[in-house]
Amino acid sequence: MMKEGMELIDAHFKNEGISRRDAIKMFGASGAAMLMASGSTTEAKASSSVKAKILIIGGGLAGMSTAARFSNSLDNPDITVVEPAEYSTSYQPGQTLVGAGIWTNEDVEYKRDDFVPSGVTLIKEKAVEFDPENNSVKTSGGKTLKYDYMVIAAGLKLDFARIEGLGISDTITSRGDDSAVRKVIGQNGIASIYFANGATDTWVQMQKFIADAKSGKKVKGLFTHPNTPIKCGGAPKKIMYLTDARLREAGARDNAELLFLPNGGKMFGVKEYHDAIVNQFEARDMKWNYRHNLVAVDPVKKVATFNRHWKEKGAWDADLEEYSIVPRSEKIEKEFDFLHITPPMKAAEEIANSPVGSSKGWVPVHKESLQHVKYPNVFALGDIAAVPMGKTGGSARKQYKVVVNNIISMMEGKELEAKYAGYTVCPLITSIGTVMLAEFNWTKKPTPSFPLDPTQERWIWWLLKVYALKPMTQYGMLSGRA
Amino acid sequence: MKKINLTLISIATIFALSGCNDTPSSPEAKIYTKTAAEVYQQSCIKCHGKNGEGNTKKKSPALNDRQAGELELDLYDVKNGGTNQSSGTDHDIMEHNMQKLMDKGYDYDPKAMAEYIEKSFFNKGTVKSVEDAKPAVEPTPVVAQ
Repeated sequence: MMKEGMELIDAHFKNEGISRRDAIKMFGASGAAMLMASGSTTEAKASSSVKAKILIIGGGLAGMSTAARFSNSLDNPDITVVEPAEYSTSYQPGQTLVGAGIWTNEDVEYKRDDFVPSGVTLIKEKAVEFDPENNSVKTSGGKTLKYDYMVIAAGLKLDFARIEGLGISDTITSRGDDSAVRKVIGQNGIASIYFANGATDTWVQMQKFIADAKSGKKVKGLFTHPNTPIKCGGAPKKIMYLTDARLREAGARDNAELLFLPNGGKMFGVKEYHDAIVNQFEARDMKWNYRHNLVAVDPVKKVATFNRHWKEKGAWDADLEEYSIVPRSEKIEKEFDFLHITPPMKAAEEIANSPVGSSKGWVPVHKESLQHVKYPNVFALGDIAAVPMGKTGGSARKQYKVVVNNIISMMEGKELEAKYAGYTVCPLITSIGTVMLAEFNWTKKPTPSFPLDPTQERWIWWLLKVYALKPMTQYGMLSGRA
Repeated sequence: MKKINLTLISIATIFALSGCNDTPSSPEAKIYTKTAAEVYQQSCIKCHGKNGEGNTKKKSPALNDRQAGELELDLYDVKNGGTNQSSGTDHDIMEHNMQKLMDKGYDYDPKAMAEYIEKSFFNKGTVKSVEDAKPAVEPTPVVAQ
């Protein structure tokens, strides 16, 4: 499958008049330049000699990058990372490409133990009890860990259990034991790229869907987006674009109806990107219907039930000096041949329900400094932090430097000066060979890093996605440099 | 042309990766005609109460049970109709009302408003139950483990 994908990429380059070797050379050169330059140019601050016990909960991309940067920045690092999952440092953004058969799991699976920075203590357990009043955490193995500063980077859980009819009662993480979910997701045309094996199974299910369409059968593919914040907000659409691309490649697009059913009422929070996506959907005859939240699936009958919701005008509200609005909803059933589920997501129960959690579960932090609202020596970043937007590797790439800088400032008795501005990047894959590089922040305006119109789909961003972002993440960010 | 593009991107990539342009450009400063305190006292107070205690009858949630960081996320959600690409908002009704209120001049900076509410009401009035703190519309279902 990888070979097939690479051949496709080659064919694409050939059309563009460029050989794959040239492309790899370019990105290889820039990757090498990045690594050489990074040692001297990207240190968080001058090396600091202050001492403190730093505890990091979670050793995924956010937690491990934070550990590495602390290790690079402190003369006497005392850093502990608590991470139970063997493959926590895998390259999650690649799961979309695995789901469409362009990469395989081997291209994205990376062992945690290969990314533990030198001098960092790794505890292969889960943090289960939080006592921030006493700067103390208990682990699943019964250890009590004390800290001066704690960084929570525990990621999030996929909550398929909230969808009725699937027979799933446990939450899972994107890698690790997924037996509770895989028995039903990845079968019968039901797929989800949000967990690793699910991505592999998505490609199997997608191929069946395409084969059916090719055989002349009229088929229907549904793509959902839940009513919770999700990681990688673009992935529910990316997998739809890739399904469209694979159908076209097979010459079977006319036999398939593709429908995007998100809970929300827009494609994107940034108007420029919303408009661009609407145009891309229309150009591909990809359909959408807003305000549909997946609530149940019958895997045998292949019927998905959605809560369709809308608002109606209510009585006059004298306080508001306007008519009030009444929420209405109804259940809608839709048959499918292929159903891509983006599950509801939430913070891990043991953190959400602890003193460091919040009513919504996410760890409440001041969104610029990433410092906990109640406990000044606690910080959070990555998927579990309660900040608007975010929940991408690109956000974490900005956040971990802010957290490290601010904790070192605190250790040195200085003001917290580093600020996160909400930067998020979504390389929106729009076909095999094109990506729209949607960069934005809390200003809700495009914030492109490159002097090119960010609303255009470009093959160079495809190259960035397929060749450059992985090494940048695995070797630049996880070493605390890029 | 393609070659030029490739060169451009590899140079740009080096630049981006080297971390020297990581300082975000400062957001455009928006001017608000009223302070957070004025907006609260003239408008929010009608439904959320003089101590931020909320109004069960009007399904207006209490605001005095959370600190600024948490409140700000909710206010951001209300004003922007969500915090994510296509997830929608946790505050369907208030999102609609907020647009109307902004038209009437009751606009505010979410951070300033969150800080005002915390400073004025947090831990000062009656402690509300967790039930009342939940948004009036579509409360997040609790999943049994």
